[in-house]
Amino acid sequence: MNIVVAVKQIPDLQQIRIRDRRPVLDYVPCVLGDIDKSALEAAVELKESVQGRVIVVSAGNGEIEDTVKEALAAGGDEAVLVEDDTLADADSSVVAKVLAAAIRKIDDVGVILFGEGSADNYSGRVVSAVAADLGYPQVGYAKQIEVDGPLARVTRSLEDSDEIIEVPLPAVISVVSEIKEPRIPSVTSILKARKKPKAIYRLDDLGIEIPSGKNITTISNLAPVSERKGIVVKSVDELVKILKSERRLER
Amino acid sequence: MEFKLTKEQELIQKTARDFADRSIEPAIDHIMKEHAIPQEILDGMKELDLFCLPISEAYGGAGAGYQSYVLALEQIASVSPGVAIVISVNCFGLAALEMFGSEEVKKRYMPGACTGKNIMSIAMTEPEGADPRLVKTTAVREGDEYVLNGTKRFITACGYEGPLVIFARESDTGQICGFVVEKFCEGYSISEPWDKMGLPGTPMYDVYLKDVRIPVGNMLGELNQGFRILKNSIALGKIGISSIFLGTILAAYEECMKYAGERIYLGKPLTQFQYVQGDIVDIAMKYEAARWLAYRLGYLADMNEDKGNIIKDSALTKMFVTNTAVEVARSAINIHGSYGLMENYKVSRIWRDSIFGPQTEGTNALLRSVVAMDILKRSK
Repeated sequence: MNIVVAVKQIPDLQQIRIRDRRPVLDYVPCVLGDIDKSALEAAVELKESVQGRVIVVSAGNGEIEDTVKEALAAGGDEAVLVEDDTLADADSSVVAKVLAAAIRKIDDVGVILFGEGSADNYSGRVVSAVAADLGYPQVGYAKQIEVDGPLARVTRSLEDSDEIIEVPLPAVISVVSEIKEPRIPSVTSILKARKKPKAIYRLDDLGIEIPSGKNITTISNLAPVSERKGIVVKSVDELVKILKSERRLER
Repeated sequence: MEFKLTKEQELIQKTARDFADRSIEPAIDHIMKEHAIPQEILDGMKELDLFCLPISEAYGGAGAGYQSYVLALEQIASVSPGVAIVISVNCFGLAALEMFGSEEVKKRYMPGACTGKNIMSIAMTEPEGADPRLVKTTAVREGDEYVLNGTKRFITACGYEGPLVIFARESDTGQICGFVVEKFCEGYSISEPWDKMGLPGTPMYDVYLKDVRIPVGNMLGELNQGFRILKNSIALGKIGISSIFLGTILAAYEECMKYAGERIYLGKPLTQFQYVQGDIVDIAMKYEAARWLAYRLGYLADMNEDKGNIIKDSALTKMFVTNTAVEVARSAINIHGSYGLMENYKVSRIWRDSIFGPQTEGTNALLRSVVAMDILKRSK
């Protein structure tokens, strides 16, 4: 049984400058998001219990082949990529359709892992759309996964509690970052990554129809403006009193 | 001409920095107080293949080349130059074996040092100085053995088990040659560590050799190759040192950016004061110049099989980077005001580390005369 990990190429968030409250992406290199790396680490651990391979799936522009080396260095055994320049700013419905088509090209898929949301936009829309397209059950907020024969036992990290559920395989599971700390790849594994097998498809190879227009238009994705109240306190007691009066300490 | 890292180089750079942030940074206090690198850090560096980064795969190395070596050492040194020195000394010794060791010597000593199980040292300097003409340590041939006697000074990593490359005067020719000695063999002993002012984690010792017997095959290269081995070794050592002090410049730069952004003075952050802006821009300018010079040295090492060809460039780079590191550390303290003199501010440590650069691996004063001879010879 193979473990698929879907990863997204994003701009290196640490190198983005902000101008007029908008990100400047010129000359910013592409990397994988941390939560995707956590999903990959979970996959590598799962691989030992299912005797399969970890297959990294991604879709993006011409840089994707280079970007995915990071995942292959960190434990991915092979990659299935869809490379097309139009995918660089494709909306989530298109990306989901493309990823689902790419996953269909892989044999013996058991678990399909995603990060709960991508590190750049964090819309979280692609996971559900892929599960729906493939017709597989979906589980979100996974912080622990065990495969037991035809089932996966998943511990979900909910706001106030953990929920343990069983789901038949194949299934699409999205993970929270606490599931695993991503490994630091060794120098040798980085150098070997370029030799690992990669299947690269163009959009035309997938036999899917991509709508010409956009289904979703992002109008704005700015963080909400927060203004400080500028209250100066002289003691912890005073701070606690104010927080209580504003009902901030009740949760 | 392309000034762009490959994806592999970017990832190796990131591996080194992530390891330094995740594993070395939390241990800095321990390293400072105990003057030793915790075993977990050495084990982590083994797992990530950092001990053998530029060495070819044929002898157990990672085969990543010297450009990647420079990038990785810079990042580790930005957190702890002391830890980076252990890697550089090991790679320095390994490279000497790779270039000039017999097949038997390579097979016997290189795999262990590539994994970091053993850590190599290299010994040139003597109590009279680092100039090769001052070497008094002798290697006297007796049948199938050489007998070594002498004292070496300021030697790093010689408290770890592993091979030591030692330069001594060969008895038959009077030339300086390199010899491989197993540390802690009969006749090998070391002093108490020198009580030095910076670079914690890498104690320096004097090494005493008293009638140390080694097989004739442990001599590096041929009898008449002493000068060539020396040139290659000197050039390689400077790649490591340049990378490490580039790391201290990076550390100073990062500390200043952080401090000047956070420190509020007269109601506004330091970054809004023009004189601080000027200092920060000077540091940025010097960092850019130093790093591209050091990266170029890595490139030259990858391009030249005979590392002796880059001896002038290695000396120029080492002088520029180490002098710049001192200037930048001084500016960093300036930006921090009196806080920069306090032990719990990183810039005070950076200053004590940086001052080592111009004095290490051939003082910059000595290198100026070496480079002058080379340049003037070419101009004739």
